[in-house]
Amino acid sequence: MTSFTNNIQEFFERLKTLYNVELSEIDSKQFKIIAEPDKILPLLAYLKEIGYSHLSILTCVDWIEQKKFELVYILFNWSNGITFLVSTFIDRDKPVFYTVKDMWPTAEYYERDVHEFFGVEFEGNENCKKPMILELWNDLPPLRKDFDPLKYSKEHYPDREYEKDAIHEARIVRGDIRGDVNG
Amino acid sequence: MSMGEVKLFFGPNHPGMHGNFSVHMYVEGDVVVKARPVPGFLHRGFEKLMERRLWYQNVALIPRICVPEPDINEACYAMAVEKIAKVEVPERATWIRMLVLELARIANHLWSFGGIGGPIGMYTSMFWSVSDRDKVLDIFEELTGARIYHMYIIPGGVRKDLPTGLEEKISKLMDYLEQRMSEYETFILKNRILHTRLKGIAKIDTETCLKLGVTGIGLRATGIPYDIRKVDPYMFYDKVEFDVPTATEGDAYARISLKPQEIKQSIRIIRQILEKMPSGPVNIKISDGNGLRIRVPKGMAYAKVESTRGEYGYLVVSDGGETPYRVAVRGASYPQGLYGVEHLLPGTRIDDVPIWLDSMGVCAPEIDR
Repeated sequence: MTSFTNNIQEFFERLKTLYNVELSEIDSKQFKIIAEPDKILPLLAYLKEIGYSHLSILTCVDWIEQKKFELVYILFNWSNGITFLVSTFIDRDKPVFYTVKDMWPTAEYYERDVHEFFGVEFEGNENCKKPMILELWNDLPPLRKDFDPLKYSKEHYPDREYEKDAIHEARIVRGDIRGDVNG
Repeated sequence: MSMGEVKLFFGPNHPGMHGNFSVHMYVEGDVVVKARPVPGFLHRGFEKLMERRLWYQNVALIPRICVPEPDINEACYAMAVEKIAKVEVPERATWIRMLVLELARIANHLWSFGGIGGPIGMYTSMFWSVSDRDKVLDIFEELTGARIYHMYIIPGGVRKDLPTGLEEKISKLMDYLEQRMSEYETFILKNRILHTRLKGIAKIDTETCLKLGVTGIGLRATGIPYDIRKVDPYMFYDKVEFDVPTATEGDAYARISLKPQEIKQSIRIIRQILEKMPSGPVNIKISDGNGLRIRVPKGMAYAKVESTRGEYGYLVVSDGGETPYRVAVRGASYPQGLYGVEHLLPGTRIDDVPIWLDSMGVCAPEIDR
């Protein structure tokens, strides 16, 4: 751990020159690395090689105003307890990226998850288009910011009709609770 | 004579199934040839719902992501928000959080220790551990007002200070549980049913664990003492002494036998917490704002805790608004529940499938979210 903190600046300089990344500190043991999409696979392979071999999660953030999807790979090193949030921005209109399932087998399922909820396709993961959690979904991927859950449920499910409750109405008339007798 | 392949649906309505999860199995005789995990029965769209609720409102929502162990959700969420806002929590609040997390660890270990009684038909362990868990829930009820979903840990600290007299009750309970743990070890862990049904079953080795990203008891039962509380200590876990129990066999029995040992370590931690806890305030404001309508500055942070099943984490993204911009949940049982079921179950017998799901702690709600 001490050797890491001593060498941290050196290590970051190396990452910057080799992979042209942007680095920021979240807290003393957690750092965010933003890389270009074409540099991300070699960067992940390098980090995995030097000990950041535990992929906690692969997930996605929809930045609708910038028209970008941000893919976040969270890597953890069991020997020094450092976490890296490796992220990259891909085009929102053409969301295609490369799979990392050869490096981390479990990524297959994270990629399926991201495909289902954001519509990002992963080249090389032939299973990523298979539905996993949402069955028979035929709308926009639901975690995108332009998906409106209220509109979806109005279209797909009927409004529930409530029977009139005499006691409830009496309370409204008496003024105990606020409400509308007719609605 | 070949029997031919038969497709079998092992789903939530099956008494041996652990929660609302299902596995499509292709079996030959009673040997599994192919297994396909099918989650989704419990998808409630938490990640989307959280984007539409205020920062504090989410505290009431997220404990439901993992039903048997709700406190870790609040802790991860609160820690991530504090990391983004760069807020230091008062010292007493951090100790109380640790107390709650360790009590929750005991409660959940007891629950899953009993859970293994279902698929193997040894109900004594269930009766014992559920009745002991109830005593922990009594403490939670007095502390937070609720038995299961506590909504106690909030961004900025905890909701309220400990009520008077609770510390004595907790230390009495710890004495009781410590004495019970040795009874568990002699009566349940040496039981013949448990040995016959769990020894050598649902095996996994260290290499596979690390490759898949399996954490927690599943990994520690293969001999690797990896525990986030030791490797990347959050809260004050670096100020308390505890050991990380391990086993070497990597089978279901090794995982189950670690549970009483982990409970003993939690008891040890709780005693130290009660000793070391200072007095003082228990919460702090995250930002200026109108009551509960706080704003969290722009940023992204990941917070993780060691749950009873492994690494449990929240990635929280804020765009500076009144609600989270995006929250992603890393469920502890994602690797073993999905990839593990597909690739490690073929070759085992039908009745070993629930043992895998149970002893690896596969939790359907955190996979579906």
